Amino acid sequence: MSEFKTVGKRHRRKDGFDKLTGRALYPQDMQIEGMAYGATVRSEKPHAYFTCDTSVAEKMPGVVIILTAKDVTAMNHHGVLFKDHEVLCEKKVRRVGDPIAFVVADTEKQAEAAAKAVIINYDELPALFDPVEAMKDDAIQVHDGQSNILYHYKCRRGDVDKAFEEADVVVENTYYSPFVDHVFLQLESGLSYMEEGRLVLVASSQYPHFDRLEIAEALGLEEDEVVIRNPAVGGAFGGREDITMQIHLGLATLLTGRAVKVTYSREESFYAHSKRHPMSMWVKTGATKEGKLIATEAYIVGDTGAYASWAINVLRKAGVHVPGPYEIENVKVDSIAVYTNNPFCGAMRGFGATQVPIAYEQQIDMVARELGMDPFEIRYKNCMKKGSMTPNGQVLVESVPLKECIEALQGMMEGADAND
Amino acid sequence: MFDLKINVNNEWIERQIPDGLRLLDFLRNDLGLTGTKEGCGEGECGACTIILEGRAVDSCLVLAVQCHEKHVTTIEGLETEDGLDPVQQAFLDNGAVQCGYCIPGMVLSSKALLDANPTPSEDEIKDAVSGNLCRCTGYDKILTSVKHASEIITSKTNDDDLKAGE
Repeated sequence: MSEFKTVGKRHRRKDGFDKLTGRALYPQDMQIEGMAYGATVRSEKPHAYFTCDTSVAEKMPGVVIILTAKDVTAMNHHGVLFKDHEVLCEKKVRRVGDPIAFVVADTEKQAEAAAKAVIINYDELPALFDPVEAMKDDAIQVHDGQSNILYHYKCRRGDVDKAFEEADVVVENTYYSPFVDHVFLQLESGLSYMEEGRLVLVASSQYPHFDRLEIAEALGLEEDEVVIRNPAVGGAFGGREDITMQIHLGLATLLTGRAVKVTYSREESFYAHSKRHPMSMWVKTGATKEGKLIATEAYIVGDTGAYASWAINVLRKAGVHVPGPYEIENVKVDSIAVYTNNPFCGAMRGFGATQVPIAYEQQIDMVARELGMDPFEIRYKNCMKKGSMTPNGQVLVESVPLKECIEALQGMMEGADAND
Repeated sequence: MFDLKINVNNEWIERQIPDGLRLLDFLRNDLGLTGTKEGCGEGECGACTIILEGRAVDSCLVLAVQCHEKHVTTIEGLETEDGLDPVQQAFLDNGAVQCGYCIPGMVLSSKALLDANPTPSEDEIKDAVSGNLCRCTGYDKILTSVKHASEIITSKTNDDDLKAGE
């Protein structure tokens, strides 16, 4: 076998030295002479029409400009799949933390003080916090004129009804997983400035090329008029895939010519970025008395909060994975993404594949218990291998070492009773 | 305003500062030592850890005036003419750095531990870095690195002792 340059060798991380000596620069570590500072005014209500009065704040010391929806130069929308986020909300807020105004002032303190002086008058609407409630026909719409049901993934294979009739054991349960925040350690921070007639945006991002497109579209610039500089990224885990302050900053620089910086506090960071989708997962599993899994039916509802972000991909992945890595002939899955007035949900490590094992692995344990079977044995008997077909029709042609994993685990857990 | 005299990374500095200035802001904004990071501003995450008179402390919870006539070490102060501090070297060699934002604080907590106790037990290491949150690594390689740094320091000390005995 030929000698590889990289595979099988230990390599030092390229940026390790800079990060260990304090040389690595994250956006909050950067300064530009004469720069102004931004502060974001955010919604304090989960669902409301509002009016925004900036007249007092505009007269506060040091204020350079206060941006609201009417100032957005081209398109007041952004979003990774659907453009359902507003750069700055125009007349309706859909969650606590929605951005309404962006205040720019000479100092950070002045910007914060002026942001507090922006007056928002809310006309509150009933708010939806439960996705099952939000799915009802008469539920109030989070996005006016649009159903709260954003996406419905369906998987149908074989005949589950017939299989459950034939099954010797049927286990049926509902599982819940919560909202989770990434809590990347480096708080969102960004700078914008003009350089040789082009708008430069410095912000830690997982998605710099797409950020450029979204900023250009919102501001009405050509893509090559926008430069994205992605410095050191202090953790992300999916939480830096959506735009946060990039368009606010770009707009402020475009309209004033000034360099502008904003850094969120930890509290604001929680409001600003996405969460992991909470899911309710009803799962029904059928097996023969020999321990062969013959049917899985699942109904998953994922709460994407006020905005779609990656909800479609996440709920699809949850739906694809909910039968687990097991050969099951009869499968029926419905996986649904729903808008509510909760924090918006998007990418977070696993993209929907992380929530469902809570459900399917406990199902397998319960089936094993009903049958008086060893939990290892039932998994060994049913697990996918090379050549298996997933419920949605993918034939696995390589690298499916599940049996080897189970064997290795069995050795390590010798003597322990996994049913306890 | 307060006339502050402070030793940062082996250099005495005198500055006039507002009484309410956090040590973190003094280091980052007044001295430009941005290796000290802010992750929460309320003493939960440890990203702003520095060494104050031999102890690892959160610089977001310390006022600069409290450091009057005291010694502070930041991440920028660890390298010497001989290269990286053994803790930095061990973190680099063992792949303990990912996003890097917790790293200055993590290194300084480890350094304060090893300065006081060059051969800590695993529990003592865990205790020393228990105030430093890391969201990337799962801590495993960090613990390995601190153990490795302990070995580097101990073998160096033994070498020095041998040389002194020659």
